[in-house]
Amino acid sequence: MSQHDLTRESILTDVIAILNDMTQDWDLEFSGGIAGDTKLVGDLHFESIDIVQFIVAIEERFQRRGLPWEKILMTDGRYVDEIRVGDAAELLAQHLGGTA
Amino acid sequence: MGANGMAPVLLIGLDGATFTILDLLMAQGEMPFLQEFVRQGVRADLRSTVVPLTPPAWTTLMTGRTPGNHGIIDFIWAEQRATDHYFTLYNFRDIQCETIWSMVSRAGGRVCTLNFPIMAPPPPVNGVVVPGLVSWKHLRRNIHPDGLYEELKGLPEFDPRRFAWDFGLEKKAATGVPEEDVEEWVAFHRHRERHWFDITSHLLDREPFDLAAILFDGMDKMLHIGWRLLDPRYAVDLSPTDQRHRELILGYFRELDGYLEKLCRQAGEKARVVLASDHGFGPSHEVFRVNTRLAEQGHLFWKKVDSADEKTRASVDRLVERHFVLLDWERTTAYARSTTSNGIYIRVADGPDRPGIAAAEYEGFREGLRQKLLQVKNPDTGQTVVSQVLTREEAYPGTCNGQAPDLTLVMRDSGFISILDRSPVVATRPHIEGTHYPLGVFIARGPGLACGAKAGCFSICDVAPILLHCLGMPVPGDLEGEVPAGVFSSSHLLERPVQKDTDTAPPASYAAAQCAYSTPQEEEETILNQMRALGYLE
Repeated sequence: MSQHDLTRESILTDVIAILNDMTQDWDLEFSGGIAGDTKLVGDLHFESIDIVQFIVAIEERFQRRGLPWEKILMTDGRYVDEIRVGDAAELLAQHLGGTA
Repeated sequence: MGANGMAPVLLIGLDGATFTILDLLMAQGEMPFLQEFVRQGVRADLRSTVVPLTPPAWTTLMTGRTPGNHGIIDFIWAEQRATDHYFTLYNFRDIQCETIWSMVSRAGGRVCTLNFPIMAPPPPVNGVVVPGLVSWKHLRRNIHPDGLYEELKGLPEFDPRRFAWDFGLEKKAATGVPEEDVEEWVAFHRHRERHWFDITSHLLDREPFDLAAILFDGMDKMLHIGWRLLDPRYAVDLSPTDQRHRELILGYFRELDGYLEKLCRQAGEKARVVLASDHGFGPSHEVFRVNTRLAEQGHLFWKKVDSADEKTRASVDRLVERHFVLLDWERTTAYARSTTSNGIYIRVADGPDRPGIAAAEYEGFREGLRQKLLQVKNPDTGQTVVSQVLTREEAYPGTCNGQAPDLTLVMRDSGFISILDRSPVVATRPHIEGTHYPLGVFIARGPGLACGAKAGCFSICDVAPILLHCLGMPVPGDLEGEVPAGVFSSSHLLERPVQKDTDTAPPASYAAAQCAYSTPQEEEETILNQMRALGYLE
């Protein structure tokens, strides 16, 4: 799929697929199914090294480095305590040209 | 082994191996297979990279290029800015040169590379990649090809939690293992090596490879904690606890000897087998607290933290635990960033009235700093502690040395520096500790290789050319090593002289990595902000 074919929906689907693949052996108690409102820290027990890997996986999937992740990871110069899956997908949509 | 008409090669990496200990253990009968292997092959001291450290040294072995050209300097990648300092971890996309796995793949060879660092995300080689330095939580996604992880799960006792990288445990190795944890620590690593052996053995059984490579990294862990128990100069009057720990560590070496024997047998008589380490090992007697010294001299200023702010305090404690330096970046002009790089970074102002020294003063400042460092003495002995201070150009010549320190320290006991805010500046260690030494090991056996020979000392850059020649491939012209005299027999070289080739191909990640290093200011800030947000940055 070229980046011109990306839509917000397809990006969210891809991000969820990455997370499903990434966490399938983590023995998480979270059972609702990963969706746009799933919390990386609260639901999937992400640590900072996991966020690094998550971003690398996204960069590999979409073949883009250097996206402005701080827009969802930081607020007023401080780290946020939580990130939702939909936030990551929305950031990608804004910078990869995802259509509605 | 041997899939594509190439002469098969098995490379066994032994992290931290040194003849100082291996010769001793062979003589004592603890490693009988290795002793026989050495008798039938060729051995040499292998000079490591300028700082004998796992990521740059193994990357040099894998590329035949020095760190100033392949770009991997340390475990952590960092960037300094006027008011902040940013960290992340190196990964495969940061390697600026082609690896030997790629060279062999391009030639149609089948490769298998297991537990080598900086190999994630894995490149799409013609064969198998199971990288080292990857947490168990992310191993599945970082194995090539797809589906191999599921296959490995079928192995008896397969448990990624017990053989993959664990950041917390690595930190333990760096900060010292408490005596009460030593047994568990040694058992963990013995079990871990067995896991890697099982994986290697399974893959060698499954299909032929032209170049198969496994890195056993437990020896480094054993020697860090066990040097004083193994080196006869220090292993005297051991307590019962020490004797028990020594026996457990010797058990590690006996088991490793068994793995070497089984893997060599599996590789077959036609295979050439190369054992190599990334660096050597030896005793460290003293510690040099570089940042404390720089603070005394007015070059470094520690950041004052408001201890009343509980959240900030917790954050600071976490950073200090991780050994990150907390500095006042407005006033600091020189500092050591990590204990592993043995390097000092000089902050150069990016404009008038900006933090750092003026660009025009850089050379004089650096030379003055160098001279002062060479005069630092251990008050207990009266001897200077720094044997060499190298500039960036001296230590890291090359086109990808932007991350290298302005000054690199070579300690007289080969130890690593301390970056913590503690006194005194130089202290004699209460106990001998094992540390990385420049001379590692090279041992090779097989058709065409010299037999029962000592080949002197050569560079870790030479291993890639040797492996390529073993495989019957020409050596690319841009490799910085060569096939040293004495490795192959004269008759072999008469029949098959070393062939030179055109330069290596750029790695797949090269273009992307170049972008990351040369983005416009705004985009670069974005990347750095991202890393700060991830909690790796101060």
